[in-house]
Amino acid sequence: MKRRSFLKQIPGAAAVTVIGGQTVRADHTNPLLQALYQMMYETDRVLVIVQCNGGNDGLNTVFPLDQYDQLKSVRGNMLMNSSSIIKLNDKTGIHPAMAALANLYQDGKMGVIQNVGYPNFNYSHFRATDIWLSASDSDEYLDSGWAGRYLNYEYANYPVGYPNAAMPDPLAIRVGEGIGLGLQMMGTNMGVSINNASDPVNLTGNIFKDPAGADYVGKELSYLREVQRQTDKFGDVILAAYEKAKNLSTKYPSVNNGNTANNLTNQLKIVARLIAGGLKTRIYWVSTGGFDTHSSQVDPADFTKGTHANLLQGISDNIAAFMDDIKLLGLQERVAGFTFSEFGRRIRSNASLGTDHGSALPVIYFGKNIIPAVVGDNPIINPNADFNSNLPMQYDFRSVYGTFLNQWFCVPQADVHSILYNQFQILPILNTANCLSTASHELNVQNGINAVSVSPNPFVHKTRVDFESFGGFVRLQVFNNHGSLVRTLLSQDLPKGKYSNDLDLEGQPTGIYYIRWENGPLQQVKGMMKVL
Amino acid sequence: MAFPSPQAVTPYTGPFGKAELLHLLRRTLFGVSPADLKAFEGQSLEEVVDHLLDIPILPPPPPIRAYQGRNESVFDTGVPLGTTWVNSKPIAGEQNPNGARRGSYKQWWVQLMAQQERNLREKLVLFWHNHLVTDTNEAVDLAVLAYRYNVLLRQSCTGNFRKLMYDITLDGAMLRYLNGEKNTAGAPDENYARELQELFCLGKGPDSQYTEDDVKAAARVLTGWNINYADNYQSVFRPNRHDKNDKSFSSFYNNKVIKGKATAGAGTEEINELLDMIFAHPETARFLCRKFFTFFGYYEINGEVEQQLIQPLAELFRTSGYELKPMLRALFTSEWFFKTEYRGAMIKSPADFTLGMARQMGISWPVEENAFEARYFFASQLFLQMYNQGQELGDPPNVAGWPAYYQTPSFHELWVDTATYPKRLATVDSLVVRGISTGSGTQWVHAESKNKSFRADPFLFVKQLNQPHDPNVLIDQLVELFYGVSVSQAVKDSLKTTYLLKGQSTDFYWSAAYVAYADNPNTTNPEARQVPRQLQDLFAYMFTAAEYHLH
Repeated sequence: MKRRSFLKQIPGAAAVTVIGGQTVRADHTNPLLQALYQMMYETDRVLVIVQCNGGNDGLNTVFPLDQYDQLKSVRGNMLMNSSSIIKLNDKTGIHPAMAALANLYQDGKMGVIQNVGYPNFNYSHFRATDIWLSASDSDEYLDSGWAGRYLNYEYANYPVGYPNAAMPDPLAIRVGEGIGLGLQMMGTNMGVSINNASDPVNLTGNIFKDPAGADYVGKELSYLREVQRQTDKFGDVILAAYEKAKNLSTKYPSVNNGNTANNLTNQLKIVARLIAGGLKTRIYWVSTGGFDTHSSQVDPADFTKGTHANLLQGISDNIAAFMDDIKLLGLQERVAGFTFSEFGRRIRSNASLGTDHGSALPVIYFGKNIIPAVVGDNPIINPNADFNSNLPMQYDFRSVYGTFLNQWFCVPQADVHSILYNQFQILPILNTANCLSTASHELNVQNGINAVSVSPNPFVHKTRVDFESFGGFVRLQVFNNHGSLVRTLLSQDLPKGKYSNDLDLEGQPTGIYYIRWENGPLQQVKGMMKVL
Repeated sequence: MAFPSPQAVTPYTGPFGKAELLHLLRRTLFGVSPADLKAFEGQSLEEVVDHLLDIPILPPPPPIRAYQGRNESVFDTGVPLGTTWVNSKPIAGEQNPNGARRGSYKQWWVQLMAQQERNLREKLVLFWHNHLVTDTNEAVDLAVLAYRYNVLLRQSCTGNFRKLMYDITLDGAMLRYLNGEKNTAGAPDENYARELQELFCLGKGPDSQYTEDDVKAAARVLTGWNINYADNYQSVFRPNRHDKNDKSFSSFYNNKVIKGKATAGAGTEEINELLDMIFAHPETARFLCRKFFTFFGYYEINGEVEQQLIQPLAELFRTSGYELKPMLRALFTSEWFFKTEYRGAMIKSPADFTLGMARQMGISWPVEENAFEARYFFASQLFLQMYNQGQELGDPPNVAGWPAYYQTPSFHELWVDTATYPKRLATVDSLVVRGISTGSGTQWVHAESKNKSFRADPFLFVKQLNQPHDPNVLIDQLVELFYGVSVSQAVKDSLKTTYLLKGQSTDFYWSAAYVAYADNPNTTNPEARQVPRQLQDLFAYMFTAAEYHLH
């Protein structure tokens, strides 16, 4: 049943509210409707990102069955028999270790995008990961993450005035690792990280109230105090949500079977509980590693087994269990996700039964509201491929991000363009019904305290910056979309009050800029567009 | 780079007082104790730096078996409890002891760090571990190779960088970690060749323009090495696995051609040519100097730092034949190292935070010979604290090391986030409030290891200071020792009133209680009996401040 039609059938509603683009009459005395109202209004769509560190061997994950003989000629020492591969369709198959995902595909809850990458691949783990996290071009260095920029677009005032009644929860949660570049925006963490939902959080009132100066020491004092504050302010809501819900699926793998990808089990169980516990958090980011399979990625006695098969099974079993869990928890309409890795691996295997750093690779996406498909063509395997040959890309990885932003989070195409700094094609992978209303976005944008704004925006070459000081040191800086400082407008102590400054960017190239406001430990970043 | 090359690194010529000494020691030791301060006070900057660089040549005694003492006759039976395992091959047919030995190795290392002498060795071993990364638990797996790698780093830490790169290239742990042992003429494996350039010697800066083809050519130079597992895990060269063709490099390396060789000596000869080629490039010295300054000084290398410090320091490094001592001496006596804006501006790593706290507090380790089980146990608990805070000693997250040491733009801020900050609080709780104890468990074979505890004793700590009965002087000294940054009088007064005066308004309240307790620890005076607890609360609180995470 779709959300809209269900809501329409609720009888006896009284007060008028807008939910999911529909006008709904809500009667708060009706417990059934009240429960539903709470669920619909306080929560909306969730994106789960599964990061696979190390560079996954796409050609040993999704198999071009119509190229099997060519593949055999370059991967004879490790390619399994074609009969072992599970068919997704006539031309394309998936590793038998991913049987659970193949079943999800049959149920219409999983799909594959073939040959995802970008022009001029980088083969360094670290640089390639940064490219994926920041959504940059191969030769472009950005110091914000794509998801961080989206959250800054959706919740423009964050972190000033957060948490608040409308958004009491973290915007994003990274489970099991530090925040990472993906969820950052100009040095601000747009989400929080947890290793374990029952972390002790015992901050008390603080004697240490010396103001942080404008120097290097002050910068770090401010940072540390902000972390202390964040730990404090979200600790309770995370723990409360975690304790409110239970995992219902029995399909999660047993954690101690020695497969490193099974560190996803605990992470995804936490994610399911936090969503079910009612957090309004938009993005959950989980990760696992071990995909850097330079050697011994298959068992020489059985090519369907070995290190890589174990990793794939870990991904597959855990995502399938998570999907089962959120279905049982009644959340499956609201949750979708995808996997990524910093690169694929070489076409030709090496003599140590492994594969070296390569280029394009398949992306797996999942959810109840996805369109199950094998998107794109099989890669063409050149039987003469040598040790240096790589697969060309078919889809830009930023198309995946753009599609989720546009069709899952309902960001208009023009805004997707400004978040990703370029136009990328939208892929037919998501059911587009039930987008959020623009009214909901407007509320999010106004949420929190608007400490800095630019008008007019877009502007020709002059505009005005309105900002607030809560007392103490204020800094206003202008950055371009590479994160380079273009100008410092102001850097001084200002008494509490509202202020304006003119900004003249004549002579600077047109495009996206950011104004960054800093006041004591607070900071806020707003986008602006110079059009001429 | 287009900067003119200045003559030499500008030395620091300002006053060398307590503040400067503290800054130098905070960055070069794990934690600064009152005893450290006393040992160096009155010496000149040059004297202190020479002392820090004066590192004993002899390696410390090797790790010993402190694990599974009760299972001595069924597990790792070749190694009696309390003796070293580093020369004993695991016995076939027995349960694989490498997991237990790896634990022993890491606990050995933690003890060396937490009980370090007053020199740069332990900080440098950590530096090199983070720079020339191998793991312990996964790829390397064999405890003896992880141990030998550590010995190599400690013996080379102030030696010659060119020689260290040669040795690490053929180090058994490295051959396993970056697949050197799998790198053959038939199937070159680029893993080590890439990181040799990208992470170890040249970096990815604008002046490092080696090419993908250079990575491939270097991989071919390095073909043919593997490990003789039957012969004590020695690294060996197998000419039949070596690529005997010529290897051509790009214009970045002046189109150097390394002639392919087929002799038994081909392996070492070609590696030497490869390293000579890499070390001939001035970027190598600059890259290393940037890395050292990032680790010990400050992470931001702007145009001014590059021109005034990195360039002349690198020139010194290169012209001294990549000897580390003259370069480190110049760095730690430079004007740039002592810039006031850098003092206290670095966030402590988990090792600095945890081991620094243990060492600064002077937490005592059980000294009886047979208490080695307790010593290794306490080390395992310190290891765990660092692990929880995001630094798994011996197993960095990947070959680039810990992101907090290199990842722009956040660098050291990556150590502290909403996940790890509560873990730091838990460490304070463990070391200062609750303490760690071995208990009377049956796992300890030796009675000397039972009922030992590991906990800071704030009273013993303040006894070493001047006039601890004067609450103002006491707080001043604690703030000076604990924080690399200044703290206002208002905060000091709050600390004093809240923790020492218990809300009372006259200083005499503390003085009387302290003197009574110092005079007789078994006093029945109720106020005096509170003194240890008051100090414990004060220390625990001071260690949770944002200021304590900086140094």
